[in-house]
Order: sequence, then structure tokens, then C-alpha cells
Amino acid sequence: MSFETFIGSIEIRNPLILASGVLGTTYSTLQRAYTAGLGAVITKSIGPRSRSGNPNPSVFALQDIRSLINSVGLANPGYQSFRHDIEQLVKSETPTIVSIFGENQTEFSEVLDGLKDLNILGFEVNLSCPNTDKGGSQIGTDPDTVFNIVKTLKSKTDLPLWIKLTPNVSDIVEIANAAVKGGCDAIVAINTLKAMVIDIQTKQPILGFKRGGLSGSAIKPIGIRYIYDLYESFKDKIPIIGVGGISKGEDVVEYLLAGATAVEIGSAIGIAYPENMIRFITMKIKKYMQEHNYSSIGEITGGAHK
Amino acid sequence: MTRQTLPNTKPIMCKIIKKEEECEDTFTFLLEIPVKVQGAKPGQFIMLWVPGVDEFPIGIAGFENNVLEIGIAKMGKGTEALLKKEVGDYLGIRGFYGKQFQVPREGEVNHLLIGGGFGMTPLKMLTTTLIKQEDKQEIHVFEGARTKSRLMYLEWFQNLHDAGKLVFHACTDDGSYGYKGYPTVDLEKFLQEARGSSIFYVAGPERMMKVIFDIGKKYDTVIDMQMSLADRYMRCGFGVCSYCAVDPTGWRICVDGPIFNTKQLEQITDFGVYKRLETGEKERI
Repeated sequence: MSFETFIGSIEIRNPLILASGVLGTTYSTLQRAYTAGLGAVITKSIGPRSRSGNPNPSVFALQDIRSLINSVGLANPGYQSFRHDIEQLVKSETPTIVSIFGENQTEFSEVLDGLKDLNILGFEVNLSCPNTDKGGSQIGTDPDTVFNIVKTLKSKTDLPLWIKLTPNVSDIVEIANAAVKGGCDAIVAINTLKAMVIDIQTKQPILGFKRGGLSGSAIKPIGIRYIYDLYESFKDKIPIIGVGGISKGEDVVEYLLAGATAVEIGSAIGIAYPENMIRFITMKIKKYMQEHNYSSIGEITGGAHK
Repeated sequence: MTRQTLPNTKPIMCKIIKKEEECEDTFTFLLEIPVKVQGAKPGQFIMLWVPGVDEFPIGIAGFENNVLEIGIAKMGKGTEALLKKEVGDYLGIRGFYGKQFQVPREGEVNHLLIGGGFGMTPLKMLTTTLIKQEDKQEIHVFEGARTKSRLMYLEWFQNLHDAGKLVFHACTDDGSYGYKGYPTVDLEKFLQEARGSSIFYVAGPERMMKVIFDIGKKYDTVIDMQMSLADRYMRCGFGVCSYCAVDPTGWRICVDGPIFNTKQLEQITDFGVYKRLETGEKERI
């Protein structure tokens, strides 16, 4: 039985990837996540300059729906400062995807140019953060903008480009199509859903930024639906990476059956001890593969499309 | 139903039932927790939400009968807004987060609690726990401040000292209370003369903790040093965001700490040297 997973030209040891924004602020937590058993890790989204993000509260849990809401707002040290962390990851042979963002094409290019010489697996282009006034998901909702950014970035590097899409659009396939035409190497879906929590005692939104994005178990059925839709349109054309609400081995299998080639895990891995969580998930996938006579991860992909 | 700890969820709104000046610019707040809960442990912290203003980690000074005690001094806009809150107002809390101080259940050992400023809040709670222990072991509290009016819980510790429950070693930079100098002076004197082994429990400015750590390393009789690194920037408080993580171990202060022991502190090269800003960048302490 083999766990090796191929995402286009990339081979990773298993289909479990650390999602951007979780445990991704420093090389040491990313290394720890990889050592715990993941196939690869994705950094926090890195932009052109250091950025404080939004005021606290900016992350908290919603226990009743096993989810998280956040409005971190792309807080990051900027690519020049983060280079050191990526170099540490490369040195320790941690398969690393660098998540990048910008407010426009020029900024995306600046970040990519500043990091593309590093020996990383590729870039994940964050076109979908809901927690900023400018950039973020605004960029990811317009097909022409998506096409232009992807095309420009692709012309600058041979490294694989994954495009992370927002679910906050009426037709995700249209946006994905623009990214594919632009030449991306994989589609990642979904980022967080627009959300808000209000405290009824003091009658005000709790997040410092008021508005936020929802992740965790509550969004899993939405993610599954999007992956299913995307797979129907793209099938063998391009790998699709599923993300949203995965906390168990069964969730991973469900995403694979919907059409994902690999999956990203975020909220759940951060809350728990990554070491334990990954062990449980892996055990469960193995058991499922035995019971259903699968010998490789690739065989499961798209199994729900009959 | 009494819960073991609070659910990890959105801020739980608690009414302020008491507010009093503790020392210069510092207030004690008592918050009534609406959920029946067994307990916060010494060394743990909460994320405190001042509605509409800010949220930040804060140490727990006491917990009894569902009432939480915290100590607040003016540090930034969050604490400034908080100090304007009065009895009857609501604050949100998330927690109780993090690991507690590990007190050995048995054996002869001197408990040495060393701190300054805000660090005294978890040490106050630890003191409450230690003096309740049946096994009478020596408790020494070393507190330092700029001047007498800045010594946190001065009266509380002094009363326990007078009652013979512990030995209080107070000092001030200007000599206005206790001896003139730093807590390290009495600490070293104690270590040179002490019989038996000692454990440090330290909370306060990280540079001070590093100095104390280096002192402790010199004495074989110091069998463990537990230090609280809670005074760092945090967003989530429960391990997701990693803005509080330390290098090179990748430990998150909020779940893997905030209390770390000697073995762990030796591995954290950031200890006493770097902290992380809200951008994730490192800054020299």
C-alpha cells in the first residue's frame, strides 16, 4: 500500500499538507508539523512588506460547531524577513510550499521574484483571504484579474503555482477556469467563508475586525461540494487540492472521493497536538484503503463520480 | 454540572464584581464566571477581551468559587480601556489556557518563587496552592520592584510572612521597602546557605528570568527551574496561530507552555533573547 502522492510534477510522501495560516509563522513550527508526519507544509501567506494584520480578538473557536473564526488579516513579516525561515526549512529538507499574497499583480510579482531562487516545492497563490480591505478575496473574485496574475507569475518561474480559491463567489468553476487558462499547476479550494459572531451581552461583533472567515468542521460539506464541482469540470486536466474542515481520516477520504488529489489540514491540526492528530488520520486512511482494496492514494481520487 | 475547565469557545462574558487598587497604577479585578467550573491552575492564563477594544493574554492571580482574580496595570490601549471598567461591567474571557507550574507531590524541597511586576499574578496563585499543601516545605518569595508603591501584593505576601507561612524577600531599586537591589541578591544568598534542594518558579520580565536561570545553573541544589513565558504576543491562545512560537523547537507558548522547565528552557534559543511581534517578525528583548 502506498501513500505517495503526485500533484503534477511534485511527489510528496502522503496526501496530507499543512494549510496556510496554521503553525506557519516560523520555520520551527513548520518543521515540527512535517516531522509529525505530514507530506508537505505551506507557510503563512507572505506579502511584500511586514504587516500587523487586524486587532485582537482575531482568532477564536466556536466549540458548538467545531470550527474557528479568524480575522488575522495577513499579518506577516514580509518576504525579505521571512527568507531566513524558508532557508531553514530548505536546509532541514522540509518540503515547503510558500503561500504568497499581494494587493495587485505588481506586489505578487515582487514577492515571487524575491523568493523564487529558493529550493522550495512551489508557491501557493492566495487569491482568497477574506480579512482585508484591499486585495485578498477581492482579487480572487474576478476571472480576468485571476487570469492575468497567474499568467504573469507563471512567466516568471518554473516552480509549480497552486492557486487557492475563495468559496465566496457565485461560480467557483469560472474562477478556476481563469486560473487554469493562466497556466496554474493546481487548484486549491476552499479558503474560509465570510462569517461574523456578535456578543449579545455587549451587542457588538467580537472580532477586532468585526468580519472574519470561518474554517473547521462547519465548512467541510461546502468544501466537498466545491471539490466535486471542480472535479467534474477539470478531472484529469489539473490536480485539485481539497481543504476545509478536515479533522479525521474519514474527512480526507471524503475529499479524495470528491476529486481531490491531496488535502490540506488547518484548524484541526493547530488545536490538537499535530503529532497525535496526524497519526490518527493516517491510521484511519490505511484502514479504509485495506477495507476497500485500494493500493494507492491516486486510486481513491474521484471515486464518488460514477 | 461543573466543568473541569472552560469550553474553548468564543469569549465567555463575566461580570466584574470587585475592582480595587492593588498598587500604583495596578488594579485587581474579580470576575464572576457564569459557567460552573472547577479550576484554573497556577501558571495558566486567559485571553481577556475588553469589548470593542482589544484582547490579550493575562495571568490568573486566583480562582475560588467560580470567581477569577486578575491584576491589571496600564500597558497599552487595551489595559487603559480595561481600567476604566467598573463593577457591573462585562469582560470576555477565553481559557483557561496553557500548562501549570509542576509542584512535586512529595520530598523535601525549598520552593523559591521569584518575580517582578505582572509576574507576581501567577506566583500569587501558586503561593495559595503551596500553602494549602499538607506537606510543610519551605516557601520563599522573592519580589522586586522600582519602589515600594510598585510592589504587587505587598500586603498579602507580608501578612503571610508575618503569619509564618512563607519567607518574603522584598527589594526595591530605591530601597523604599525591603533591601535595596534586585531579587537575585537575596536569592544567591539563600542558595549559598540553603540546605537541601530547591525549585525555582519564576515569572516576570524575560531578561530578568534569563539572569535568574543563569544563576540557578550554577547550583547543583537547584533541581528544576520553571519559568513562565506568557508575556508574549498571542492571537489565539490555543495553538493554531503560532505567533507565540519559539525557535528552534517550534513550541507554542500558549499550549506547550507558558511554563517551561530547565530542560526545555535550555533548548529554547529564543529565551531571553528574542520575542515575536504581531507581524511574526522577531525583535530583541
